[in-house]
Amino acid sequence: MTTHSPSGYRRELVRALAHGFAPAGLHATEDGGVVRAVLVSPDGDVRIESVAARDGAVPTIVDRAPAMAWDEREAFDQYGVRFSGHEPLRALARHDGELSRWTVPVRGDGPYQVAVGPIHAGVIESGHFRFHVVGDRILHVDVRLFYKHRGLERAAAGRSLRDALAVVSRSCAACAVANGVAYAQACEEALGDAATQELARARTILLELERGWNHLNDIAAVCAGVGLAAGFTRFAGLCERMRRLNAALTGHRFLFGTVEVGRSVLELDAATANAARAELREVGAEARSAWRELQFNASFQDRLPDIGVVDAAAVSRLGTVGPAARAAGVRADLRSASPGLAYEGFEPVVPERAEGDVQARLEQRGLELRQTLEVLDGLLGRALRPARAEPAGNGGPIGVGRVESPRGATLCVVERSDERLDRVRLRTGSYANWPSVAHAAIDNLLPDFPLINKSFELCYACADR
Amino acid sequence: MLTLLRDLRRLRRELALPGPDRGRSLAVRHVDAGSCNGCEHELTLLSSPYYDLQRFGLGVVASPRHADLLLVTGPVTTRMHEPLLAAYAAMPEPRLVAALGDCALGCGILGADEEIVGPVESVLRVDVRIAGCPPAPAAIAEALLSLVDERAAAPAARR
Repeated sequence: MTTHSPSGYRRELVRALAHGFAPAGLHATEDGGVVRAVLVSPDGDVRIESVAARDGAVPTIVDRAPAMAWDEREAFDQYGVRFSGHEPLRALARHDGELSRWTVPVRGDGPYQVAVGPIHAGVIESGHFRFHVVGDRILHVDVRLFYKHRGLERAAAGRSLRDALAVVSRSCAACAVANGVAYAQACEEALGDAATQELARARTILLELERGWNHLNDIAAVCAGVGLAAGFTRFAGLCERMRRLNAALTGHRFLFGTVEVGRSVLELDAATANAARAELREVGAEARSAWRELQFNASFQDRLPDIGVVDAAAVSRLGTVGPAARAAGVRADLRSASPGLAYEGFEPVVPERAEGDVQARLEQRGLELRQTLEVLDGLLGRALRPARAEPAGNGGPIGVGRVESPRGATLCVVERSDERLDRVRLRTGSYANWPSVAHAAIDNLLPDFPLINKSFELCYACADR
Repeated sequence: MLTLLRDLRRLRRELALPGPDRGRSLAVRHVDAGSCNGCEHELTLLSSPYYDLQRFGLGVVASPRHADLLLVTGPVTTRMHEPLLAAYAAMPEPRLVAALGDCALGCGILGADEEIVGPVESVLRVDVRIAGCPPAPAAIAEALLSLVDERAAAPAARR
């Protein structure tokens, strides 16, 4: 990996994008001296292109890769790097500026602003939405997050690679396993280690247990979004069952502390694994029955189609990931190419009516829930033993981990000096998808925004870190 | 729809949840002051049929204007400091504050010093402490119901 000159950096990125590489993330080093862009080919090959800042600036790539917009804004706010050509470079993480520093100006006949948050009317994470509307119609939304920014990446730096995992995975409870595995894989790549089959199986079980309760939660959230209390209660009950199962298997309802760098200590004897399998089959049967009821509830179904559309073209432009991308017919799922995990033969699914609207995103959760339960059924057929990663190569100063979280592709980049963590960047599926929520809201009615937002059900914590 | 409701009734019957024996209610305003989203996910499940806290008159309300209790999660980030104080200031008296979860109590994995103001009690007087990372729904339910009982037993002690 070389550090390019500013013009060389831009040339390399433009060439890679032309060869089908997709932008996966961008971050600045702690001193703001170097910017690294991560790109991924359709086959999963990862490229890191680095550039040294000249007079505190590097060239932008946002004109060719709009998906990097938040990354560049964050790098400026947090690490002081300017991006030449990214004009205006609006504030993302900094909250101390005027309204005009972070909102898009909306002019014309009668637009006005509706400010919502950071505190919301319910049990919802903190974040601010500034809607520009005419009547009830949304022209534009400025999403202002980072209210929950805890500086976890900086708090993790300086610790040993192993100890830092607890800090990194505390970014988000809903994606604790996905973030933890992405971090562990990045460390292992940097250390030159690879997961053994049993380690891959342990992590895959944990990832799918996490996805299971998340998808049940997300279906319940859409029911709540249209005020269908019976549907919400039903799926929330199933979500509770899966959290109880998590606690029974690992001692923690959110599976905290189960992922480690270089090893897994999780042990399940055959009887426990079998009992878990039986419980998951029951959850699956109950979920199918409740799902059928949702299908035949006309007043519920009427609310879902053609609302909050993110189509395939928007997916590729905005870098949308996960269920939201698949709901638009884009068959991209990191699980189909995850060498360190146990997803042999996994095929991504998309809904028949892949319109990228609220209905398709809900449908997608239903399809994926079934898949998740099938994967778990296959993996829990026998006892699980503690396992370690094995030396597989030389490693290097930088490692990259990529994991399909319940909300989509999560990228973790780790920079190290020996056993010490210098810099970690966690770019979660939620972070990738927040701009898509803003896009989905355009031209919709303001009262539909909560439903649109619920159909993505992104974490604020994951984005803010 | 009928099947959904029938299933719910069956689940309720199987769980045999006790009915309310309390004559009071508690209106709760939730503020996320920088949590990892764990406390929020557990709070959400208090509405699931396994706990159904609303049957005891406990509800999350949409405005601090009609809240008895401010339920705060997270380590209080610099950016949530002001909104948290604004929510508290908007509450009618007597008002109570609960710190939910280890971060709010200042003992979790919190983050970088420059981004964190400090535990909830460094900002507001805390009446109820609910420990856990995150506290399970049963623990949250127990703490909130004890509060309702205490208030019923000693109305004079209310602030």
